[in-house]
Amino acid sequence: MQTLLVRSIGIVAAMMFSVPAMPQAAATRFDAHDLSGVWQLAPGGGGQGPGDSFPPLTPWGQAKYEANKPGYGPRAAPGGNDPILKCDPIGFPRILFQIWPFEIIQIPGRILMFFEGQHTIREIWMDGRKLPADPEATWYGYSVGKWEGDTLVVESTGFNDKTWLGAQGQPHSNEMRTIERYRRVDPATIQFNLTIVDPKAYTKTWEAEPRLIKPRPGVEIIESFCVASEEEEFARRIRQPAAQQTGK
Amino acid sequence: MKNGKMKSLAWMLPLLFFCATVPEVTAHHGNSAYDEQARVSIKGIVTEFVWTNPHSQIYLDVKEKNGKTVNWGVETNSPAILTRAGWTSRSIKPGDEITIILCPAKNGAPVAYAGSGDAGTKVIFSNGKELDFQDKTTK
Repeated sequence: MQTLLVRSIGIVAAMMFSVPAMPQAAATRFDAHDLSGVWQLAPGGGGQGPGDSFPPLTPWGQAKYEANKPGYGPRAAPGGNDPILKCDPIGFPRILFQIWPFEIIQIPGRILMFFEGQHTIREIWMDGRKLPADPEATWYGYSVGKWEGDTLVVESTGFNDKTWLGAQGQPHSNEMRTIERYRRVDPATIQFNLTIVDPKAYTKTWEAEPRLIKPRPGVEIIESFCVASEEEEFARRIRQPAAQQTGK
Repeated sequence: MKNGKMKSLAWMLPLLFFCATVPEVTAHHGNSAYDEQARVSIKGIVTEFVWTNPHSQIYLDVKEKNGKTVNWGVETNSPAILTRAGWTSRSIKPGDEITIILCPAKNGAPVAYAGSGDAGTKVIFSNGKELDFQDKTTK
């Protein structure tokens, strides 16, 4: 009786472990260096930016932070001067933390990130070139990438200081450098880490909260410009009346 | 008279129930001009549906208790987000009678938010059909 029971358990256990083994192996087969496709940042902390908490600011950074009037976070107030409200480019790295999908396109010598938000393309040079020593400041900077094992490491420099890092009004300077790490750990997950080095604005290196990026199967990028004339009209008709301090 | 009052109270019951569940409602929109903990229902005739980036807008004439008609402006999502929620630029047309569950402006102005940032906000048409703002492409 006991032998029969042991044998039955053995058979059931063998079925449990052997049967799913094949499909599982098939499902986990993927190329860690192929990131092409439509993806989106998974929900998580960070409040549309690299994180709700950040390293202590320098006096220069503090003054800039105080001048930024966000519509989000602990300092949120109606109105505000978030540059994206005027359709200024969202800029880097803030665009990585938006709620829209983006497409990764891998072509010889380059990886392109095509963001739905503001219909923006960002280039990452993969041809072995170095970062320029004295780049002109731009909204998205200059980026070079390389594979370290299965991790795509992207270094960037050459940013202007007109953008916020997140919706809370976290500032940065034109001396900011960033390091991104993308590691596809399974077909449906990219682990994403971001390091912000900006000694002019922050007293320490800022390691952003690690986030996950998930695929958006079947989703296509839809044209989503920020149209300044339409945004201005929207502000006149809705945003400004909503933000006005009335006695009511 | 009494019966009529009962009727109007009965109409409000689902709304009251909804308000009672408000603490569990997520508020992600992040525009502090709106009361994202509140859900208010307004009913009116659509005057304009503006399908623009990055904020689409719904305008409707709402008859207030004092008999005056006020044109409300409701901020909603971008066309891309609305598209994934099952909308088109023709989903709402001038002349449609609709009810909107929305987050009102804190200052009492006739402007509001209804969109993917605040669960529970939606548009209800006179035939009972509803359109919300949640992404239908996610599993």
